[in-house]
Amino acid sequence: MKARVAIFDFASCEGCELQIVNLEEKLLDLIDIVDVVSFREAMKEHSNDYDIALIEGSIMRPMDEERIKKIRERAKVLIAIGACACLGGVNKLRNEWPVEEVKKEVYGDALLEGNKFFDVFPTKAVDEVVKVDFYIPGCPIDRNEFAKVITAVALGRKPRLPSYPVCVECKKRENICVFELGQFCLGPITRAGCNAICTSFQDGCEGCRGFLDDAKMDAQKDVLRKYGVTVDQMMKKFNFYNYRKGVL
Amino acid sequence: MNCLEKDALGPSQAILVVGMRMKALSKLEWLKFVDRLVNDSGMEIIGVKAKGESFVFDRLKSADELRLDHDVTILPPKKVFLPVTEDLMTYDLKGQVRGERTIDDRKRVLIGVHPYDVIAIEQMDEIYLGSNIDEHYASRRLNTLIIASDIINVSERSFAASLGTHVTDSGYDLLVTDIGDTVVVDVGTKEGRALLKKYGSARDASKKEADTVKCWRSDLPTWFARRAKLPSSEWKRVLDENHDHPIWDENSKKCLTCGTCTTVCPTCYCYDVDDKTDLNLKEGKRQRTWDGCLLREFTLVGSGEIFREGVKERYRHRFYRKGAYLPDRKGFVACVGCGRCAYQCLPDIADPSEVMNSLASYNLHKTVEHPVPSVEHPEIMEDLLIPEPATIVRKQKMTELETLYVVRLDSGKELGHAPGQFVQVSLYGIGEAPISISSAPGGKEFELLVRRIGDVTGAMEKLKEGDKIGVRGPYGRGFDPKEMQGKNMLFISGGCGLAPMRSLIDYTMGHRKDFKDVWILYGCKEPAAILFSKDLKQWADVDNVKVLTTVDKCPDGQCWDGNIGVITTLIPKVAFDPMRTIAVIVGPPVMYKFVIRDLKSRGMPDENIIVSLERRMKCGVGKCGHCQMNGIYCCIEGPVFKYSEVKNIPEAF
Repeated sequence: MKARVAIFDFASCEGCELQIVNLEEKLLDLIDIVDVVSFREAMKEHSNDYDIALIEGSIMRPMDEERIKKIRERAKVLIAIGACACLGGVNKLRNEWPVEEVKKEVYGDALLEGNKFFDVFPTKAVDEVVKVDFYIPGCPIDRNEFAKVITAVALGRKPRLPSYPVCVECKKRENICVFELGQFCLGPITRAGCNAICTSFQDGCEGCRGFLDDAKMDAQKDVLRKYGVTVDQMMKKFNFYNYRKGVL
Repeated sequence: MNCLEKDALGPSQAILVVGMRMKALSKLEWLKFVDRLVNDSGMEIIGVKAKGESFVFDRLKSADELRLDHDVTILPPKKVFLPVTEDLMTYDLKGQVRGERTIDDRKRVLIGVHPYDVIAIEQMDEIYLGSNIDEHYASRRLNTLIIASDIINVSERSFAASLGTHVTDSGYDLLVTDIGDTVVVDVGTKEGRALLKKYGSARDASKKEADTVKCWRSDLPTWFARRAKLPSSEWKRVLDENHDHPIWDENSKKCLTCGTCTTVCPTCYCYDVDDKTDLNLKEGKRQRTWDGCLLREFTLVGSGEIFREGVKERYRHRFYRKGAYLPDRKGFVACVGCGRCAYQCLPDIADPSEVMNSLASYNLHKTVEHPVPSVEHPEIMEDLLIPEPATIVRKQKMTELETLYVVRLDSGKELGHAPGQFVQVSLYGIGEAPISISSAPGGKEFELLVRRIGDVTGAMEKLKEGDKIGVRGPYGRGFDPKEMQGKNMLFISGGCGLAPMRSLIDYTMGHRKDFKDVWILYGCKEPAAILFSKDLKQWADVDNVKVLTTVDKCPDGQCWDGNIGVITTLIPKVAFDPMRTIAVIVGPPVMYKFVIRDLKSRGMPDENIIVSLERRMKCGVGKCGHCQMNGIYCCIEGPVFKYSEVKNIPEAF
């Protein structure tokens, strides 16, 4: 019997779900090996009976928390997809300020009292609320990696993310190091798997796939200092996707 | 300064014999030659092209893309023979599982290879073609002609002149030197001569042209800004003497472990293999990709153990591999001084000349040697990496974690293994895992005891009798029962270490007269984890065979009236004559140290202790690098070793 898959979004741009739609003809292969029973971005139907839940987005509100807990109860396997779900991502940047201040900045004097949609707490990644079985990181996710994780789950193989940094994939693509081009890059501490997409277009890595478990932060900071990056610039770069994970 | 203006020539080692085989083309004729290759030869022409301010080897579309003034390319030309990622085979998951080899035998010409890279390719040839020929490498390599080029601009981090690799007189079909208006061509092989004749119109080089090339080569060392103080012949000695030098600690603290140094290296040859299944779950490809010893999971095995986890150990390993282990094994230092690692390393700690210079000036004189046991490796003639189809004949669950599989090759041939050898079991779409053979040699069926621990072993458990698997092997050095004849045998195993041991015990039981007293000591975590209990009982019934078992603990609900305690608690219960007894130890990594200590305290000589070691055997044929313990390949020199062979190997225990 085919596994039943449901795709849900929380606070996010839905770009990762778009990546799934962007599988194009491969999408037909996907729906051949699994039954997609809920996918708001691509279909009208919805079912609460599923085996695998794919979660995009971060958890911002009590109502999100309730919803993700329900999904967790129903799903045998829960997979976080994208930086917002895996790390909290850019949504976490607002944790720098108290929630009330953020609301005021964004909504001004609008009356939000008692409106549950605006009842927010500091942003959380999905695994700060419920157990996550597998991760497909990135902003947005990489389609090939998505296919790899799905085929692994379907074949009963544990999907494994690369445990090495982006530099490996970047060098394999024979790129000129972006440090040589006068930029700075978080590639040496960021988990590979994106096939060095940004650096291949001469754009320094922002760390959207999260830092490696054994990221060599001190060595990375030494390198950034050597290339004249200030503490303030470093902090901003580290925090962009990995809020307060690169403490100086 | 041009040496034509001088009477005395430079150091003689830098001057190569140039004589009758020198040809010359005008610049225009040279460009025409390259264009004809591109347009008329039907071959794929790969040459040096600009990429931004750097250079890369890439497919040429016309001669004007070709650069001969490059200092160094980002990646070495080895990528043509051992692509960054390549398909080894395709497999089909629908219906009958089968695999088919993918071979790339396209004819190619590779233009602009600097001498140090030519020498690096010769080293790669030694690895991939020297023994256990890798067909994927061979088909690319043997179908490629190399047009080397002399260095015109020296890379700022290269120290090739110190190693003598700035020039070469072998390894190329043609060697060109751009001397301005003219390109001088040194013909290296008859294939090179034929290529030049067919697509170019070259004349004999004049004496002046030949002299210009000669002078260029002799002057070249003066253009190198970087020097290694030590000749490469000294690297091994200096490394052996500086195993505990503070530089390993200091530099590794700055290391990003990003793997750049190994990725850009022209002599690094390690690889990983992974199955990539199509999203339709019908077919897929088994792919090989470059791997590097600086990366954390390089030595990870199924049980989760990482054998070389420390950054210092990984960082040091790279230098030893190049400067000590390969000189031992193949007779050359696996560094050609191209400077790629030095240039690309962000913290700037990868430069072999700098590290070797530091070691040379500060010698601790504490020698650690890493001898490689001399083992006769039988040449593997089959397709190295393509599994043979085999069938699971019977399947028997042994414990919660372990299952015994009886397997037969579909070809009907005997596996032909020695006790202690292993096979690579392949499940397409999942991958490969090394499994030791637990049955005695002989017969068309062989037995594999498999612990459910990773992807392959987990998926294997779901297979039924009659299902297909892929098998490569047998591999490795097994036990040599002939050497043990006439001795008492003391078998000491822990956990699933009994599986490879069983092949030897069964052999011993089958040749009972050849051996004296036999003791079998076996330890497990708990009674429920005991393997081969039927065998243990049978062995105990044989004359002069004593079986002692122990468990670490007996949890509630399990039954046990035997010994409780770790395996070493059994050793005092055995009265053996240490000089006339061979001890064979197989168990989890933590076990060896303690068992060996206790045996030695009983006076057993190192030569009488035999061990079988677990490492990440990925290829099984001594190439992929994952199973290395210092200079030793566990997959071909092991997994069975005499303790005396490995006792001083720092990474062995």
